[in-house]
Amino acid sequence: MKKILHLTVFLALIAALAGGALGFANSMTAPVIAENELKAERDTLKVIYDDVPDSAFVVEKENVSKTIQKVFKVEGKGYIFKMKVTGYKDGTSFLVALDKDGKVVDYVAISNGDTQGLGSKVTEKPFREKLQGADALGSEIDEDTITGATVSSKPVIEGIKEAAKYQADHLK
Amino acid sequence: MNRKENFTAGFIRENPVFSLYLGLCSTLAITTTLNNAIGMGVAVIAVLIMSNVIISLIRNITPSEIRIPVYIVIIATLVKVIQMLIKAYAPSLDTALGVFIPLIVVNCIILGRAEAFASKNKVLDSALDGLGMGLGYTVSIIIMSAIRQILATGVISFDNPFNAAQNIFTLRIIPDDFAISMFSQPFGAFCTFACLAAGLAAYKAHKENKAKKLEKEAK
Repeated sequence: MKKILHLTVFLALIAALAGGALGFANSMTAPVIAENELKAERDTLKVIYDDVPDSAFVVEKENVSKTIQKVFKVEGKGYIFKMKVTGYKDGTSFLVALDKDGKVVDYVAISNGDTQGLGSKVTEKPFREKLQGADALGSEIDEDTITGATVSSKPVIEGIKEAAKYQADHLK
Repeated sequence: MNRKENFTAGFIRENPVFSLYLGLCSTLAITTTLNNAIGMGVAVIAVLIMSNVIISLIRNITPSEIRIPVYIVIIATLVKVIQMLIKAYAPSLDTALGVFIPLIVVNCIILGRAEAFASKNKVLDSALDGLGMGLGYTVSIIIMSAIRQILATGVISFDNPFNAAQNIFTLRIIPDDFAISMFSQPFGAFCTFACLAAGLAAYKAHKENKAKKLEKEAK
């Protein structure tokens, strides 16, 4: 009994010390890591609006729904939505920028886990160009943007529509 | 065994990678570029020295029944701290090495040295053993990644790990048309590893034969 107690206390002590050390390291590095991540995120946002300063991008909302991960407000331009939608395998992560009337300003795919050459078309230029300027609240966006790759493209279109609807309902 | 022998053991006689075949998972996976190898090597050296020192310090009070969980908790803590530091100050290295930083925890070199050396020896000897073994591992993966990078891309290059945009040197050795991209794939990793391990084994066998011959002549 005494032996078991000794072992338990010793292991608990080591674990507590380890926890303390980790907490200390975390409190030192967490702000730097958060800053790095924010900078990396801003760099991707700059693909859409390269003419505005860093400070113009403000995180408006986070984890709105399963698909809307983050909403950034861009001073004087509108909103950028960071989205993650399902697909055939890993789904697609993308940014979509909408203007005040719900028109797609730009669409940038971040990652797509679907079949190379078919599902991955949502990451390519023609798909992006087709979306630019489209009215996300109207029906023109519904037209078959990529023939035969609906598993990947449909959720992306649905996601953009959801973002536009959210903007119309909550962000005016 | 004196201190110098103990320190140099990690390079050839007990080289962890090519002689003891330890830590191969990360070795095969990350030796695609010189940057990865140096970053991984430094992280492993840091963890190895610190874990050896701490384990050696507490060797007399650690109950032998729970020594393995204790070692693992210590090693995991050190690795996590190193990972946070890399994430904060060398984010590009973090992206390049990815899951292989947390996997240092299960790198058998570290637990192996803790169990085989640090738990039985004094602090200074353990620190030297950690440095020697860590350098042995680092030199091995640097050689391997240099060979693979040159064969696969024709170029050997090194970027500043704290600022990915700053290139320290780039040297073209093989013209672009003759690079064998297959060497950046797993096949290339196994092939390079096998050749280097065979080379080291041959060298060791040659040395042993020579020693035996000398012994016979002396008799």
